[in-house]
Amino acid sequence: MPNAEYFAATELREALRLLAERGDQITVLAGGTDLAPQFNCRELRPQALLYIGKLGLNYIAADNGDLAIGAATTLEDIATSRLVSEKAPMVAQAAAEMGNPAIRNVATIGGNLVMASRAADMPPPLLALDAKLILVSQRGERVVPIGEFFKRAHKTIRLPDELLTEIRIPSVKGQTAFVRHGRRKVFSCCVASAAVRVVMDGGKCADARIVAGSMASTAIRCLGAEGVLNGKKLTSELAGEAAAQAVSECKPIDDERATAWYRRRVIKVLIERAINQARGL
Amino acid sequence: MKYVLSFTINGQPVETLAEPTASLLDVLRDNLDITSPKRGCESGDCGGCTVFVDGKAVPSCLTVALTVAGSEVTTVEGLMRDGQLHPLQREFYERGAAQCGFCTSGMLMAAKALLDHNPSPTRKEIAVAMSGNLCRCGGYIQVMEAIEAVAGRQREVKAEDSGGRE
Repeated sequence: MPNAEYFAATELREALRLLAERGDQITVLAGGTDLAPQFNCRELRPQALLYIGKLGLNYIAADNGDLAIGAATTLEDIATSRLVSEKAPMVAQAAAEMGNPAIRNVATIGGNLVMASRAADMPPPLLALDAKLILVSQRGERVVPIGEFFKRAHKTIRLPDELLTEIRIPSVKGQTAFVRHGRRKVFSCCVASAAVRVVMDGGKCADARIVAGSMASTAIRCLGAEGVLNGKKLTSELAGEAAAQAVSECKPIDDERATAWYRRRVIKVLIERAINQARGL
Repeated sequence: MKYVLSFTINGQPVETLAEPTASLLDVLRDNLDITSPKRGCESGDCGGCTVFVDGKAVPSCLTVALTVAGSEVTTVEGLMRDGQLHPLQREFYERGAAQCGFCTSGMLMAAKALLDHNPSPTRKEIAVAMSGNLCRCGGYIQVMEAIEAVAGRQREVKAEDSGGRE
């Protein structure tokens, strides 16, 4: 077994230096809830681990109306944060429905984003809220809209010398709703999820976001479904139409959790329910 | 390559060696002979490995051991005080909440995490707090009742302390 190395950086510039020098050999470790199973069954044998739990990236703050969440913030801190519940309730709700209490104590929002599982729960609400991600390296900092962060399942645009440090959620306008479906009520991976945001103007929908999770290689905005709602009064009939349109925009697969057939049926229900919940019904 | 790892386990300082990919579960069981946390799944899906790190319940099978350097780790072995069973252990024992015992260590730690944080939980709150602990013997009801009994008793003690003026 090759000798793996371990680094526990205590300052950001130390971490960035290591990533600049050896980023392609380094596996970044935060909570480890997604990496550790791979270590345990020897599926992943990293050359080097860089632990980022002591870099002070666990924070939730309001910054000029934006919500700033450090990448190493635990799901439990997000789920129980009054600030997140006030400013971006969908995100707190999604975090609270992930894993179990012990997992939530260590798993991080940044880890969920970077691992980019098809079934990741943080991307859908963040995509519906136009979140931005901050990637930092020795070369500087770049701000990436979350819609551009994911290439496909397990692949993001993060370069080997970059560290995801923060998630920024702009001040949320409109009403939101998040509905998630797993094989069990709790403690199960997402089979399908719907994250919806509607901004109303004069009784009509001015700006809709309809995001489907676990229905494609990444979380996706269902643009056609959004088009069904935009400019119109929101009725339950229209919600149904938008949900039906959304199904055709999804590319679900069969996997160990569910079949594509089942997912298509469920997502229609979830999106319709989320739109109605966002309307306040 | 093995690294030196120093932390506190159930109040005792300890120093051992661990590979970077070794889990806290590996170190507790294999290095330190602390066998209460169990290898139920090694993927975070059963709760049988639940221990405390710095007072918070964590899945030890998913915790990279080297990350607990300098921390306080608590396992079921650390629940007893002066030879006395912890109230949760006492209630589990008396109510038959342990059958084969495989899930019990994880159940006790998850239950303690709940009561440390919320001494008067509702049934729903207990169910959520215990949602990460699976039992193949099906012994959930007795676990629920044991936790409720401890919570109820803690309420009584608090009421007595405040002169019954709760």
